[in-house]
Amino acid sequence: MQAGEESQAVEEAPPETTKPRPKRRGKVTVFDNWCKGCGLCVAFCPRKVFELGPEGHPVVVHEERCTACNWCVYHCPDFAIVVELVEDGEQERKTGQAVGGRVRR
Amino acid sequence: MATQRQLIYDYLRHKKKFPNIWCAGCGIGIVMGAIIRAVDDLGYDKNQVAMISGIGCSGRMPVYLDFYTMHTTHGRALSFATGLKLARPELKIIVVMGDGDALAIGGNHFIHTARRNIDLTAIVINNATYGMTGGQYSPTTPQHMLATTAPYGNIEQDFPICELAQVCGAAFVARSTVYHVEELQGYIEQGLEKKGFALIEAVSYCHTTYGRLNRLGSAVDMMRALKENSITRQAAEKLPPEELQGKIVRGIFVDREVPEYTELYQKIIERAQSGGKA
Ligand SMILES: Cc1ncc(C[n+]2csc(CCOP(=O)(O)OP(=O)(O)O)c2C)c(N)n1
Ligand code: SF4
Ligand code: SF4
Ligand code: SF4
Repeated sequence: MQAGEESQAVEEAPPETTKPRPKRRGKVTVFDNWCKGCGLCVAFCPRKVFELGPEGHPVVVHEERCTACNWCVYHCPDFAIVVELVEDGEQERKTGQAVGGRVRR
Repeated sequence: MATQRQLIYDYLRHKKKFPNIWCAGCGIGIVMGAIIRAVDDLGYDKNQVAMISGIGCSGRMPVYLDFYTMHTTHGRALSFATGLKLARPELKIIVVMGDGDALAIGGNHFIHTARRNIDLTAIVINNATYGMTGGQYSPTTPQHMLATTAPYGNIEQDFPICELAQVCGAAFVARSTVYHVEELQGYIEQGLEKKGFALIEAVSYCHTTYGRLNRLGSAVDMMRALKENSITRQAAEKLPPEELQGKIVRGIFVDREVPEYTELYQKIIERAQSGGKA
């Protein structure tokens, strides 16, 4: 990273009053044809990304909050959620890792 | 490290068999996810993996997975798996059973398979009931809880699955829950890598039969209860027994080296073929 870029990043950082933007971010897709509307993802997503929609399926209402933690991906019993890591800034490019990481034992 | 999309394409029979048959929110699908991620993480060739099940809601898992699969008869999954392992010792074999399948009708097979210490990875999805047939009590239904066959409450003591496998001689024994799915996945990986009988108890729930009868709420409520009522083995060791009542203790209970059955059996074959005396 060059010095210029660095200062730009500092300028773009959110003011201290707002919550800092999560470093890992996810793009969340729900497949309604597989989802059965059990509500697990809506209830347990730590960032409250989903709301239950009128059809009984979760709707992604706050994607910007998603930290790609994969809770919903790992707990959806119907394989109806995909969360893709958003390539966003230097941090992500370095880790550059996809969903489904190795589990620590 | 595969993405969820890749996992779906690689391991699920996604074109023909989905959406799956399980009730909305049932934990069996969560265990299935942990299994495919474990296999993928370990880098196994899926054509070297076989999944065997018996009958029950849990028993339907092989229908959805693109391994070699056998959906066998109620209670006999471990027997079919033992036969397959002896014929094809190079395969990684995963056996998926419900608590009724593994411990009621299959209880005899369970203790003897553990005793032989044959190289299988057995996963018992413990939902404390016979889910598929409508909520009859099973050998793991806690005492005093209701079941369609125990309208006044179950008077039998429940089987502690992990302790049973341990005293029978299993090489690896662990318990986790569908809430703690990453931990569960780790145990499945360790079980798969273990030479010998590995028993993993995956505590789940059946909200539509047992849960409804006992007023335990929705899948979300029962999932939350797994989080709140479970404790690690390390923490449990520090508590007096009365405080552990009703708690799910998670952790690895056994990880030991025990002579493995197919290897011992192969040695017998070699001795017999070389004209050695019995
Ligand atoms: C020999 C035989 N006996 C009884 C049945 C009926 N039956 C089907 S599934 C089942 C029990 C299912 O309970 P469990 O094994 O705990 O699995 P779950 O459905 O809860 O996942 C029974 C008794 C059968 N299919 N075959
Ligand atoms: S966890 Fe899966 S099946 Fe349940 S509501 Fe969310 S997307 Fe649908
Ligand atoms: S990945 Fe985590 S933060 Fe993102 S939607 Fe799923 S549960 Fe919520
Ligand atoms: S009956 Fe129970 S165990 Fe069977 S799919 Fe429904 S919730 Fe799951």
